[in-house]
Amino acid sequence: MNEALTSPLPLSNAERALLHEVGFADESLRTGTAVLIDDRMRVAQSNIPDQLEILPLAQALETHDFVQDLMFGLVGPEANADIRAIADTMQPPLGHFIWVKAGAKLRLPVQCFSMIETPQARQFTHDITLIEAGAEVEMIGGAMVPPALHRGRHITLSETYLRAGARCTSVGIEHWAPGMEVHSYSFAQLETGAQSDTTAILLAPIREHVAQSRTELGADAISSTQTVVFAPEGTHRRIDSETRLTAPGARAKEITRMVSTGGEIDNLARMIGAATQTEGFLGCDGLKLTDQGAIRAVPALDAQAEGTALSHEASVGRIDGEKLAYLMASGMEEEAARNLIVQGFLAPAETRMPEDLRDRVAAMIVSAKSGGM
Amino acid sequence: MLEISGLSVEVAGKSVLEGIDLSLGQGELHVLLGPNGSGKSSLLAAIMGLPAYRIVAGEIRLCGEKINEMPLSERARRGIGMAFQRPPGLDGVTVSAFAAALQAQDRLQSEAAALDLADFSRRELNVGFSGGEIKRWEILKLMLQDPQLVLFDEPESGVDLEHVIAVGQAIDRIVRRPEAARTGLVITHTGTILHHVRADRAHILRGGRLIASGAAEALFTHVQAHGYTAPDV
Repeated sequence: MNEALTSPLPLSNAERALLHEVGFADESLRTGTAVLIDDRMRVAQSNIPDQLEILPLAQALETHDFVQDLMFGLVGPEANADIRAIADTMQPPLGHFIWVKAGAKLRLPVQCFSMIETPQARQFTHDITLIEAGAEVEMIGGAMVPPALHRGRHITLSETYLRAGARCTSVGIEHWAPGMEVHSYSFAQLETGAQSDTTAILLAPIREHVAQSRTELGADAISSTQTVVFAPEGTHRRIDSETRLTAPGARAKEITRMVSTGGEIDNLARMIGAATQTEGFLGCDGLKLTDQGAIRAVPALDAQAEGTALSHEASVGRIDGEKLAYLMASGMEEEAARNLIVQGFLAPAETRMPEDLRDRVAAMIVSAKSGGM
Repeated sequence: MLEISGLSVEVAGKSVLEGIDLSLGQGELHVLLGPNGSGKSSLLAAIMGLPAYRIVAGEIRLCGEKINEMPLSERARRGIGMAFQRPPGLDGVTVSAFAAALQAQDRLQSEAAALDLADFSRRELNVGFSGGEIKRWEILKLMLQDPQLVLFDEPESGVDLEHVIAVGQAIDRIVRRPEAARTGLVITHTGTILHHVRADRAHILRGGRLIASGAAEALFTHVQAHGYTAPDV
C-alpha cells in the first residue's frame, strides 16, 4: 500500500471553506469524517471508534478480512467499462470504508466528501459503507471543486450494506464543475427491516453526469429516495435507477424532481416487484422553463410477483399559470414569482434535511436558478 | 376608492359579467350575494386582474385611476389584495419564504398568532391545509401584503362554526382598523359571515348582472325570505 496516498494530511482552511459549501462541518461536530481530495484520503477519522470505524479502503482491506467480500459484492468488477476502470487502475483502491457497528445509534452525523483540486484530474474512487444490524446513522456527503477548476473526470463506485434493522438517513450535495464528466455508480442492499432515506441534490452545472443506482430490498425493508435535479444550458444529466423489492413487506418510494433551463435530463427509473406483499412508487416531475434542452422521464414498473403493488406518477410541464397568478396577486413581479415556484419545486422535503443544511441548500437553489453556480 | 362602471367581462370568449356598476367608498365594507355561477368570483377576479378575465367594456377605477390595462402584480402593489376561495397548493414554497419575498417577515411574526397560525412558518403554502386553515392563511396573507382594497372570495366556506367567528372578526379587524380603515368587498354564498362582520352595503348578482343593491342587513333579510331576487321598491 502506498502510505503517501493513504496517510492523513490536514485540510487547509481554504479546503474547509470550499467543502463547507456542500455540508462539511468541523470534525468535532460529526461522529466521523472522510475526505478524499484528488488521489489521496486526506481525512479518515472516527470520534467514537468503538461504534464507528472510518478507514481508507486500501487500509481496511488489510485490516479487516471481511472487507474483501464486501468489495464488488453488489456489482461485478466487469459490470461496465467505468467499473472495470476503477477495478483495474486503482491498485490499491482509492476511497473510504465506513463501518457502523451493530446497535450503534450515532447521535451526530457521519460526513464524507470528495474533491478534485487538480485541473483535468482523473479521479476513480470506490467507497464501501457497512451499517450493521440495528445501527442508526445520519450521513452527509458531497462533492466539490475549487472555482478555478473547470475540467476533470470523476468516476465513483459505492457499495452500501444495511444489515437487518439498520437505519440510514443520507443527504448528498454534488457541486462539480461545468466542464466536468462524472459517472457515479451506487449499489445498495437493505436486509430485513432495514430503512434507508436518501436525498440527492444535483444543482450545479456539469457537462455530463451519469448516475446509476441499484437498490435491493429484503423483507420489510423500506427505502425512500428523493433526487433534486437542475440542468442549465450545457448540462446533461442521466439518472438511471433500479429498485428491486425482493421479499414480502419491502416498500420503496422514489421521487425525482427536475428543472431544465436549457440543459438535458434523462431520468430512467425502474421499480421491480419481485415478491408478494411489496409496494413501490415512482414519482418523476419536471419543469421545463425554456425551449432549449429536454427532460425525458421514463418511469417503468416491472411486476414479477403476484401481490406486488406498484404505481407511478410522471409529469413534465411549464409553471402552472394559476400558481403564478396567485403569487403575483400579492404584488410579486412575474420573475420573482417564477423563482419562488421553482425554488419550492426543487426544495427537498425539510424533514429529510439536517437543520444546518437547510438554509445552505435553499441558497444553492436560488443561486442555481439565477445562473450563479 | 373603487369605481366600476359599465363593466363587461369575458372568460375564454364567454360573457361572465355584463354592465356592472359599483362604487365602494374609502373604509366601506360591501357584500356580494348571489347564487352559484352568478359572477361573484368573476367580479373579484376582474378587479384583481387575474389573467383569464378579459374586460370587453366599461372600466375599473382605483382611487380615480383607470386600471383596466394594469398588470396583476401592479394592481397588487397599488393596493388591491384578494383572499382566494380555493388557492392553489405551492409545493415547497413555505409560508416564511413567501413572507420573505414580500419583505413581510416581521408582520408574519406579529400577526400569525391572532389567526392561530403561529407555527405555520415552515408549512408549504396551501399544501395539506384544512378548509379553515386555508381561509385563515388567506387573511394572514392579506395582512402581509397590507392592501388598501381587500377582496374576500367566500371566506366562510369550508370553515367550521368556531372559526367562522374568528374569520369574521379578522375581516372586521382588517377593514375597520383604527389607524386607517380599508375598503372591503366580500363574497358570501350563505351569508353566515354577515353575523360577524359589519357590512355597510350589499349587492345581489345574478346571471352576470347586478340586480339589486342596498343596506346590507335589509338586503340579506330579503334574500333569506325571497332568494336572490331584486326587492320590490
